[in-house]
Amino acid sequence: MPATPALRPPGFSRRTLLGASAAGLALIVTGCTSPPDQPEAVTTKQADRLSAQLGVQEALVAAYAAAAAADPALKAGVTELAAEADEQLKRLRAAAPGATPSAAASTGAAPAGAGAKAWLRQQVAAAATSHATACVDQSGARAALLGSIAAGLRGQDARLA
Amino acid sequence: MADDNSGSGGLNRKTEDDALQKALAAAHAAIWGYGVVGAALGPTRRAPAAAADAAHRDVRDRVSALLDQRHVEPAGALGGYTLPFPVLSAVDAAALAVVLEDGVAAAWVRVLDQAAERSTRELAVGVLSAAEVRAVSWRTAAGKTPVTSALPGLPPA
Repeated sequence: MPATPALRPPGFSRRTLLGASAAGLALIVTGCTSPPDQPEAVTTKQADRLSAQLGVQEALVAAYAAAAAADPALKAGVTELAAEADEQLKRLRAAAPGATPSAAASTGAAPAGAGAKAWLRQQVAAAATSHATACVDQSGARAALLGSIAAGLRGQDARLA
Repeated sequence: MADDNSGSGGLNRKTEDDALQKALAAAHAAIWGYGVVGAALGPTRRAPAAAADAAHRDVRDRVSALLDQRHVEPAGALGGYTLPFPVLSAVDAAALAVVLEDGVAAAWVRVLDQAAERSTRELAVGVLSAAEVRAVSWRTAAGKTPVTSALPGLPPA
């Protein structure tokens, strides 16, 4: 069994994943990927798209509340997922200060009872697709954030399955 | 050719290729790690590890081909890796798989952060999502909570 270079958490080789997470991703936290003398510009189209994704995420947070209200038995099982959706919304708001959702997408009413879970999964999957689609038209930290949120929602969808 | 994307700041083919190399290195490490995971799970429970291994091999091949097209020498696998902890049981194996997938997710978030090409971001968001879906399954098997992650691959704010 080979055992020389490092394979350690949170990734494996320090040459690979720690390098990735420490160097580049620290920049994501600050929302800036470009050198100081080269600030990352945001096109109007990109800003508008990010605002639209705020609306998508707000609708998803509302969907979690609606599903929990429609099916009390579901509430305990989705509390943690709802909190994650809210955390995602906060990160989106931080990435788009001053932005207002262009049109808060309405998710409609959750069906009462057992149908609420299936309805919620549809909302989660739709939001994931929307963020993933928006991600490819963004760049830098905004692309990374939207991609991460999309992936997180794919994981939620799997959890709800 | 890079996107005609005036919002991409200092991102270019070089930043993208560097990030792809790190993602490729992560794929190599994951492939190695899943060998350990599969061995610890045993033949009757090995299927999810085999599927994950195949997925990482596919990503490795796609990224290697992409870099080859760009006349960039793809990063090779290291001669060996050190496990982050002993893998002595199925639970340990699942925990290692979580480490592998979380590491891959971090590498692909970096690709998203550094990519200049739209097609690369499409690849990245797909790979990242698949890694998180697998991670959810492995966290469940490892008894880790929460089993989901709000922001896979991103460091805490």
